[in-house]
Amino acid sequence: MINFLSKWLNKFFNNLFKRKKKVKLGLYGPPNGGKTTLANRICQDWLGEDMGKVSEIAHETREIQIKEQITIKSKGREINFNLVDTPGIATKIDYEDFLKYMNEKDAKKRAKEATKGVIDAIKWLDDMDTVIVVLDATKDPYDQVNITIIGNLQARNIPVLLVANKIDLKKADTKKIKSAFPQYDIVGISAKFGNSMDEFYEKLLNMAG
Amino acid sequence: MPHQCVRCGKFYVDGSIDIVKGCECGAKLFFFVKQEHLDEMKNVSYKLTKKEKKQIESDVYDIIGIERKKDRPVVLDLESIRVLKPGKYELDLINLFKDRPLIYKLDEGKYMIDLPESFKKALDSMDK
Repeated sequence: MINFLSKWLNKFFNNLFKRKKKVKLGLYGPPNGGKTTLANRICQDWLGEDMGKVSEIAHETREIQIKEQITIKSKGREINFNLVDTPGIATKIDYEDFLKYMNEKDAKKRAKEATKGVIDAIKWLDDMDTVIVVLDATKDPYDQVNITIIGNLQARNIPVLLVANKIDLKKADTKKIKSAFPQYDIVGISAKFGNSMDEFYEKLLNMAG
Repeated sequence: MPHQCVRCGKFYVDGSIDIVKGCECGAKLFFFVKQEHLDEMKNVSYKLTKKEKKQIESDVYDIIGIERKKDRPVVLDLESIRVLKPGKYELDLINLFKDRPLIYKLDEGKYMIDLPESFKKALDSMDK
């Protein structure tokens, strides 16, 4: 009897505290598209704190950053997820691009870490449940990096929300991004100033909720 | 298949048993070179100084995130990452996204370092 009771109690507590699979929401895109700015915006909106450091120098995020247990609520619905901010994906990383901002030694170190970051970001892709691809709306969307990332997400059947960021800038052209990727749900935002974030959260809930 | 020692730049045209033993300079890190890129690579590596080659070797170990092991040669897939000079990298995203191992198997199960698998293990241990 004691044995039975002990087994039952074990099972009961195991079920009670069984860890639910964590939904991972990944932020992907080319460098300087605003992934970390968007991550900070989401974290500020729902947790009241920042996630990472942003900079005008490309490849500021060179390691995977994770913020756990974020709950987004909108119109009576909610989702709970772990937010994963990834290093920018690029085809070429050259320390000379950083020399304007730092000495040669630091620039080379940054280039090395950024290269490792690209590999890490790609390796993490299979672990993502949903991905937000953050594109700079002031730049030409027909780029090898964008096409490779989006094509690979499609091939892996990972749900994608495309974000056209930096709509606060004059040069921003959300329509161009829409015409480049017509089969995707696209939302134009300014992560820096918080423009159209309600629409962003609603689309995110529609997709991942 | 040709291989090139990252440290001294020596080419091993047939990728034979020498690779398993390591290069005569003592290094164990090699680039895998496609036959059609052999001449081009010979020119590139010729221009690098000894110091630059050594730096590339050290950087590559850091990038792939593995420890140097005396008895274990490592071969990098040049089709995925190309180090032109210290601090100058070209990444072939299409190949990287294919989830192909960056490091090739050299001998039957013995020296293979399957990078995607090691990443997976790292992720699994983080999840626990």
